[in-house]
Amino acid sequence: MSAATVVVTGPIAEAVAAGELPGRVWLYSNYHCNLACSYCLTESSPHSERRQLSAETMLAVATQARQLGFSALGVTGGEPMLLPWLPETVAAMSEHLPIVLLTNGTLFVGDRIARARPLAGDGIAVQISLDSDQADVNDMARGPDNFAKVVDAVPRLVALGVRVRIATTTAGPLDDPALDPLRQLVTSLGVDAEDHLVRPIVRRGRADERDLGVTARAQDIPSELTITADGAFWGSFGPTVRSGRLDTDLLLTRTVLPLSVPANALLAAVRGLPPGTDANLGIR
Amino acid sequence: MARVELLDAASAPLLAQAYFADGDPGPIVAALATVPELLGPTLGFVGAALGDGAVSTRHKEFAILRTSVLQGCRYCVHAHTAVALDAGLSVDEVRALRGEVPIEVGFPDDAERALIGWIDAMAGATGPVLDDVWTAARARWLAHELVELTVTIGATMFLNRLATGLELPSSTDAVDRLDRMGLA
Repeated sequence: MSAATVVVTGPIAEAVAAGELPGRVWLYSNYHCNLACSYCLTESSPHSERRQLSAETMLAVATQARQLGFSALGVTGGEPMLLPWLPETVAAMSEHLPIVLLTNGTLFVGDRIARARPLAGDGIAVQISLDSDQADVNDMARGPDNFAKVVDAVPRLVALGVRVRIATTTAGPLDDPALDPLRQLVTSLGVDAEDHLVRPIVRRGRADERDLGVTARAQDIPSELTITADGAFWGSFGPTVRSGRLDTDLLLTRTVLPLSVPANALLAAVRGLPPGTDANLGIR
Repeated sequence: MARVELLDAASAPLLAQAYFADGDPGPIVAALATVPELLGPTLGFVGAALGDGAVSTRHKEFAILRTSVLQGCRYCVHAHTAVALDAGLSVDEVRALRGEVPIEVGFPDDAERALIGWIDAMAGATGPVLDDVWTAARARWLAHELVELTVTIGATMFLNRLATGLELPSSTDAVDRLDRMGLA
């Protein structure tokens, strides 16, 4: 029987199938970053402690996630592409489950685009942040030359066969007509309109310190199991950092493997909280 | 100042929040909450080992306070001096268990002295426990009572090392109370 046809059963698989648990498992590959965005949830910067997962751990999470019945993976940071082995690891993980890799897109300059080759093909999407069609506006939050590097990298990634998604983080309404020029820019870069996500700034981490974004309770945040070097959390917005201190309010377990330990803790937490929805806040 | 962050209600992990619902749960819970998957099993075990059982509260407190003294745990000695007094032990008995007066002064009863001998052998020494200590205790206590008290001693030693190693702070209220009684 091929991997694609294995029927997974068990409480996690049933909860995912019933929509009680989201299907995606997130991994924070690392916390350091070549940028220092103003709304960063994790206070990531070039000076941040790396706190990285090993390639072996990431592959084990991918393997066990599939065995438990999860349906998708995501890798974020920090800037994952700062890890030399990351593209090959993501490609290996995609053999287990579809995966989206979040990157700031600034590390594909010139010949370094070749590092993206393992990311081309089915089962992998590369999600790059772009917040405005105006370079100065975008770069105010994300750092000098960010806009230029992203609009340079995206068409070349698309030409390489990489599926690119664009994520826009905004302090304004998610359907703001002022974002229309950005939507047009995104499609002109070769990205499908359906692959352009617009989401709010979540008031955690550095955003909270700078008085930015929407306040979110646990039930406002998608309860996607999120694995980090510090443990497992409720949602990819869980392992935030403010003033150098890791937020623990959405910590599930320090144990990350076997993945059944945090997965079962997440299920218990989901069942213990009042019903909620992220639909109003649009957090994703 | 503890060596680790002591979580509060705002920073308590999701599955630990119930322990903070009625106010400050104390530094042991606040420290354990940093590893939330340990909290439930640990508190379940400790609660069963130190809480109500077949052995009286008085004699459980013998085990807890005496063990804490022998292990040199300031936090637990403070906490359980107060608990022992609340459980009805006299100040003289507490002083004897704390080693401030001879055991014979505080405890004229042979059975209680034999029990303290068992506690001393378990928590105050390493290696095998001599047969005569067991025999003396067993002559006056049922086997299951000694099993229960031995579990209490072991759980207390765990708490002693946890509180000492992490430098958990004593409750200000407990220290003030003991200070007024000359027991701080």
